[in-house]
Amino acid sequence: MSFLAYLEASAFSEWLLISMLGFPTLIALHSVGMAVAVGLSLMVTLQLNQMLTGLSARLIPKFLNIAVWGFVLNLITGIALFVSRGQEYITSAIFLVKMLLVIVSALILFWLRRHLLRTKLTTDVLVASSVARGMSVVFAATWVGAVVSGRLIAYLSDMY
Amino acid sequence: MSSSTFAWIADTPISAWVNSSGTIWPTLESIHFVSLCVLVGSLLIIDLRLIGFYRERCASTVQVLIRLSLAAFVVNFLTGALFFAGNSPKYLNNSAFELKLILIVLAGMNAIFYRVRLSNLVDTNEVTRSSIGVGYLSLFLWTGVIICGRMITFYAR
Repeated sequence: MSFLAYLEASAFSEWLLISMLGFPTLIALHSVGMAVAVGLSLMVTLQLNQMLTGLSARLIPKFLNIAVWGFVLNLITGIALFVSRGQEYITSAIFLVKMLLVIVSALILFWLRRHLLRTKLTTDVLVASSVARGMSVVFAATWVGAVVSGRLIAYLSDMY
Repeated sequence: MSSSTFAWIADTPISAWVNSSGTIWPTLESIHFVSLCVLVGSLLIIDLRLIGFYRERCASTVQVLIRLSLAAFVVNFLTGALFFAGNSPKYLNNSAFELKLILIVLAGMNAIFYRVRLSNLVDTNEVTRSSIGVGYLSLFLWTGVIICGRMITFYAR
């Protein structure tokens, strides 16, 4: 906790909370990263499960690359936002649930990208393994859970 | 819109319903954000095709994505309207909210331009200057919509 207190007392944290633009800008960029990462992940889940057909399978890793960039933006802005309120967030169960869901989603995102890059394509139609399809459904659910729990932090962090 | 109109909206049963329970507002926000992700995800795939990130004949896929994005937009619009009804003073003279509405209208006009002039393009491998312009403009406008949406709270009086 003393490290979190040290971070909260840092000049960056002070600037973030006092400046007119710091906190709003970070939270806006956090939302942009979320929309890109989660949005493309959901579309890839639809593709892998044959609910969105007609696009070459070679595009899926490319879409996942962009989702990774969205996640990186989310991670950087998320860490910066955490610095200003770390002591409050770390004791909030709903925040910890969000973090767990984000970690699971990100691990599946990286695994899926690697798995699909290694899958040899003989045609443009990807026949994804049942593991890949199953994992994509899991990460669609965990991403949605992360978005919902992220919204609930503002309402429930005092209670849980 | 005048302040009396905002006061009238605040007195409507819809406004009372939105504020009647502590769970309604967070639920609406969660739905609003999840549908925003669906909207952005589906539009991104269309816009990436328009700017030439990939060049494929994908007219049928684009049709499905357009329907998906429209459905997500309707959900966003309805939940957004409920936020407005539930806390209308927050939106009075709120420049972030006004800019968000302008950007949504511009994004709609951009989409209509695509529909009228460029919808046949996705049935070919082509990328034109117009399609690149429409694609980048769409990405720019929707990014602006998200940013302004998040700024509404900070610009409330």
